[in-house]
Amino acid sequence: MKRVNSTPRPGWQAYAESLGFKFHTIDGEPYWDESAYYQFSLRQIEQDLEDVTEELHAMALDLVPDILADEQKLDQLAIPADYRDALAESWQRGDPHLYGRMDLVYDGSGPAKLLELNYDTPTSLYETGFFQWVWLEDQLMRGELPAGADQFNSLQDKLEQAFANLTLPQPFHFTSVRESIEDKGTVDYLLDIATQSGVDSRYIALEDIGSLDGQYYDLQGEPITGLFKLYPWEFMLEEAFAEQVKTSQTLWLEPLWKLLLSNKGILPLLWQKHPGHPNLLESHFDSGKALDKGWLRKPLFSREGANIELVTADGKRLSEPGPYQDAPFIRQRLQPLPSFDGNYTLIGSWVVGDSAAGIGIREDNSLITKDSSRFLPHIILD
Amino acid sequence: MKRSKKAALVLMAPAATLLLAGCGEQQQEVHVFHNAEECAAFYHPPAECQAEFERASVLHTQVAPRYQDQFECEADFGAGQCETAPERHQSGSFFMPMMMGYMAGQMMNRGNLAGGQAQQLQQSTANNRSAVPTQPLYKSRDDRSTFRTAGNQAVASQPGVARVRPSAVQPQRAQLVRRGGFGEQAAVRQQAARQQANRQRSYGS
Repeated sequence: MKRVNSTPRPGWQAYAESLGFKFHTIDGEPYWDESAYYQFSLRQIEQDLEDVTEELHAMALDLVPDILADEQKLDQLAIPADYRDALAESWQRGDPHLYGRMDLVYDGSGPAKLLELNYDTPTSLYETGFFQWVWLEDQLMRGELPAGADQFNSLQDKLEQAFANLTLPQPFHFTSVRESIEDKGTVDYLLDIATQSGVDSRYIALEDIGSLDGQYYDLQGEPITGLFKLYPWEFMLEEAFAEQVKTSQTLWLEPLWKLLLSNKGILPLLWQKHPGHPNLLESHFDSGKALDKGWLRKPLFSREGANIELVTADGKRLSEPGPYQDAPFIRQRLQPLPSFDGNYTLIGSWVVGDSAAGIGIREDNSLITKDSSRFLPHIILD
Repeated sequence: MKRSKKAALVLMAPAATLLLAGCGEQQQEVHVFHNAEECAAFYHPPAECQAEFERASVLHTQVAPRYQDQFECEADFGAGQCETAPERHQSGSFFMPMMMGYMAGQMMNRGNLAGGQAQQLQQSTANNRSAVPTQPLYKSRDDRSTFRTAGNQAVASQPGVARVRPSAVQPQRAQLVRRGGFGEQAAVRQQAARQQANRQRSYGS
């Protein structure tokens, strides 16, 4: 694994926009960054990332029945008591899941370590599955990359197969918060893929969803029987229309049981079940006392690095503010992100259904990866 | 190969924008009354006035805006100006404003009209019904003089003849559905993030 400087394609910004990538630059700062790429060997990809991703995914799914059978664990994960039955039913019915992303610390050698599971509303999907793929094909065509360079990125193929194989109610709706351009971009991408798979797919802004007699409705007044939501379950369950989750005849992507796995509390539970596993970091539910050196603290529910606090091995304290200070916390042994030319690198590894489906790389100038962290492409070349 | 065989987009690459403008639509003459008696007083055949009133009354139960309770309804239409709607929801009846008048797409005058006007009338009758369906009208709490359609389109400030764009006054079945029950946490977090000078771009992770 190495970081290779690269010349950005001239005029790539306008090209990106023509392909619907409207958030390639955010507040004047680059988000998509092709001034460098990461290079992996096939062995690194297959043994250290692909196999590990599928193993960690299986371990996580394996925990769901344990948690459902144990009220104390549900309490530790702060699952609202009112929705525990509905959640258990969604698991027992076998409500299907589409995708997830796990964040891994990996520097090219040694076991990758799981930082967290983003299993309810993972983003950076379009960048990974589409624009990174286009970049590789484009650079191969231009002769800027050695012939034979490949990429660990079957994300779009696998999503297309998943939409074709899941028997989804139709029309199938996709929703996101109206004002978020980035979330709309992600949802548009999924809607595009679903359409290509033959699913009758429609968008509705989250704020436009209607409710009547325990059922959700679209703007045409038709019941919403299937809904992909890029909006966290823990938010939805606190809002005015939460109650209808129990009664509405709606197939959800992701399903309600994903609330268990997108929860950072899954990390201590994984550690309890598999102590010392080479791909896990020691984790515990937080007692509230001061952090020791070499540990970090994060809320059960948080996104994009918000509300994370850490103390490095030599005692340096680092924290990221954010709007998620209201949930309980967990603590996790600090595995600092590797630094390449002064950039701290995080690997997001995707799962579609139950298969590993590719990676996306984020870089930041600090040890905490945030929503402003840059996205860099990668190649496989032996 | 560890990558997708293809990565196509069919919807995201935007096509040229189509502008659909509503200009050029011709206004049409309509007749607005509080009730059938007023209609007859404006020199129209009483039987026709009554028939159109009844037609509007039937539509009223289908198109009047619906509210979860009387309080919400009266906030828009004024105290004592609301009635129960035919539908029920989990915790009671829906409410809707009372019908305060009606609009008829076409009206014959009493007796026979002379000249061009009569010819025009025959022509429009020959083209079947008017482009404006006869329908109920309402008055809001804070504007008692204006007649409005169920879709809150103002059409006249007094009884008699008015002109409307037909597309703006097509009756729609009342929406029973409540909206806006999701998205609040996004707004709350956005506010909290703003106070910390820390933006919240996405609700993904």
